[in-house]
Amino acid sequence: MKTKIKKALEAASVNTFEDVCFMYQVPELKNSHKNLKLEAASAVRYRGDYTGMLLIETRGNLFSAIASNILSTESPGLRQKKDALGEIANIICGNVVTSLGRGKLGYKIESPKALNKDDLLKKTGHEKPVAEITLNFNEGRADIKFFIDGYSVPAREKKID
Amino acid sequence: MALNILVVDDSSVMRSIIIKTLKMTELPLGDIWEAQNGEEGLHLLQEKWIDLALVDIHMPVMDGEEMIRQLRKNNQYENLPVIVVSSESDPNKIEMMLKQGATFVHKPFKPEILKEVIIDVTGVSDEDKD
Repeated sequence: MKTKIKKALEAASVNTFEDVCFMYQVPELKNSHKNLKLEAASAVRYRGDYTGMLLIETRGNLFSAIASNILSTESPGLRQKKDALGEIANIICGNVVTSLGRGKLGYKIESPKALNKDDLLKKTGHEKPVAEITLNFNEGRADIKFFIDGYSVPAREKKID
Repeated sequence: MALNILVVDDSSVMRSIIIKTLKMTELPLGDIWEAQNGEEGLHLLQEKWIDLALVDIHMPVMDGEEMIRQLRKNNQYENLPVIVVSSESDPNKIEMMLKQGATFVHKPFKPEILKEVIIDVTGVSDEDKD
């Protein structure tokens, strides 16, 4: 299941950046983007047969570039940047939850929330993502992580794998 | 024939994405109207001439499902082409939309996919532009 989720996360993320932001990966930037500073993060919670969260973190100048590309504006405001990143997180999450299987409850995806650094530590400090990927673009880097609540608890981990 | 289009989505960013994508299709576009939820969408339908509605599912006040249900109850709009644009993955929900005569486009989508679906449901083509 972990592999399936990772594949779904990768496909959804790449397609979303290409189709929505018109941004294409540049994998060879991997090394030069290694130490870019965290600039923004957005999280979307999902509820259903499993509950959890999708988290997207941007580094470099990606936060602004996403909003610029989506909204066709050169200098997007902070609100626009947060909304654009949130929408990306929302679309990716909606696509990834299908890889969890067709359950009885279906999935409800909550509105995205912009996170500050303290929130990030609180939300992800004790949890391990089930899947995570990194996409490198000319404008910066996106780290996208998919969490299932309780996944880091060994008993649950057994069930997922 | 230029298409007057109603875009119903609670996210202003998503509405911008849809409108930008619509413009990229090079289809003949007339007026594009925006609504934040199904209720606003229904009001706009009463006030404006609209040829096609692009509707999200999950919205506050009135969601897409309810909006389409209300639309189909009204003789005036029972044949209005409706495209549901959503990242919804629940096959039951999607099937329900299809039963109401809507077409489903999954987010994210490429401009050419949206263009194909619009041509399919409205019969318009890019040759109608001039």
